[in-house]
Parts: sequence; structure tokens; C-alpha cells
Amino acid sequence: MGVEIAALMGFFGLTSAFALVATILAAWMAWRIVEKTGLPGWAGLGAILLTLTGVGTIVPLVLLWVFAFMRWPRDEPGRATLGYGAAPAGGPARPAPPRALAAPAAALADRRGWKLTGSLPGGAVALAIDASVVGYVLTGAPAAQPGELSVPDPSVGRPHARLMTASGRLGLEDLGTAGGTFIDGARLLPEHGPRDISAARSIRLGTVELALARA
Amino acid sequence: MTYVVAWILGLGTLALLFLAIAHLLVALVLIIPTWRICTRAGFSGALSLFHLVPVIGSFIVMAVLAFSDWPAGEASPARR
Repeated sequence: MGVEIAALMGFFGLTSAFALVATILAAWMAWRIVEKTGLPGWAGLGAILLTLTGVGTIVPLVLLWVFAFMRWPRDEPGRATLGYGAAPAGGPARPAPPRALAAPAAALADRRGWKLTGSLPGGAVALAIDASVVGYVLTGAPAAQPGELSVPDPSVGRPHARLMTASGRLGLEDLGTAGGTFIDGARLLPEHGPRDISAARSIRLGTVELALARA
Repeated sequence: MTYVVAWILGLGTLALLFLAIAHLLVALVLIIPTWRICTRAGFSGALSLFHLVPVIGSFIVMAVLAFSDWPAGEASPARR
């Protein structure tokens, strides 16, 4: 009899040890998941630890549903301008039409346009930039307006960046997307504003490398 | 005797069937929100189907979400 009781106690001890490890593991992972959305990590940890209390599993379950369908701070436009947020899904925040830049002090005599060429997994992309057009918007969505240049790739934001032309120069401004914008390999952040890329050789939108050349 | 065995087998099958249906329902309650979380993170929603795996399925989904870099972007580290 004593042996059976000891065996049972051992069994319960083992299962409760497993339950403890599983709960700690789940709480840690919930902390990390919740943090990635911009919410405080302790909220995820607390939701898991709630299962240990008398309220049972229904409250954490409700919290899971709330978490899945709530607004995440990661997706707020204010966060996106920090440079590491997500591209606004569905594009409700269409940017204002490109505005003309003041003429640079040293205007260039060369008034040819530019062309951006690159290859995508689904084929090649070639974009023509007319120097007489004030500006363009680079977007991952299909071009819907005359000023939009489409780079159909999931890593390209919708919209992703803005191109401006003035006095024979070409400017590039990042609009704060997850994939990021790079000029010759250097990261361009939204707070940098428009940068002159007339002399640049390539720009990168997300994972798409585009070679810049005069048309 | 044969009848008793048949009864036991029948009841056992019925119990297993109910168990399977209950498991499916519970998994569905987890899969629907997790599907949305996975797609918002940039993964395929089908990743949430791991909840159908008994016992360790939920841990697999959580581990993938917790220890990977989300393709759709994460909140900036400065906010953590």
C-alpha cells in the first residue's frame, strides 16, 4: 500500500513539475509575442498566469480573442514613422501628392530622366522617371494613379517611398515602412527627409534592389 | 458475453468520437484568433493549424511566433 501511495505521489509530483515548466514556458513566449505587437510584455505573461488562478481558462481565452482582433500599437501610423513599423495594410493612409522641392543651389544641366531597373521573383521591373514630373510614389501595390510607380513585391510597402525631381536632381524620401529603404546600401530613415540620389547607383526597397541610371 | 464485448466496443467508439469532436471544437476556438495573429505577423494562417496537435501543438505555434522575426514587422525595440 505504501509503495502505491509513494508511486502515486511521485507521479503527481512529476505531472505538476511538467505543468509548472509548461506554464513558465508559455508565459515567457506570451511575453515575447505580445511585445512584438508593441503592447507591454507583462500583459501576455499575466494572461497566461491567470490560468493558475480560480478564474479558470475562460478569461485567458477571451483575452486571446481580444488580442487577435484588437488594434496593435505596431500598426499605428505614428509608430510606423519610427522606421520599424509595419506597412499600413490596405493602404488607408495614402500619402499626400508629392510636393515640389525648392530648387537646389546647384542645378544640374543634364535634364534627362532616370530609370530604375531590377529583378523580382516574378519577373523584371523597369520604371521610368521623367525629370519634368514633380514627383512619384513608389508602392508595392499596383499603380492606381498617374504618379505611382509599382514594385510588386511583398517586402515593398504600400506606399513605400517618394521620389521628387527638381532642377535636374532626383530626391528620395522613405515613408516609414517595415522593409526599409536603402541608398547604395545605407539605410534611409523617414526622419532623414528627402535625400538627393542623383549620384546614387542603386536603391533598395525592402528586399528589391533597383539599379538607378539615366534614361 | 459477445454482446457485452460489442457493447463495450460500441460505447468506446462513441466516447472516442465525442472526444475527437470536443478536441476539434476546443482547437477551433484557439485556431480562429491564432490564424489572425499569424497572418498579422506575416506568416501563413495555416500555421495556427498546429493547435490540432494534442498537448504540444499550442506550444509549437507560440514558439514560432515568439522566437522568429515577424515578416510583417515588429514594434521597434525602443518601445520595449
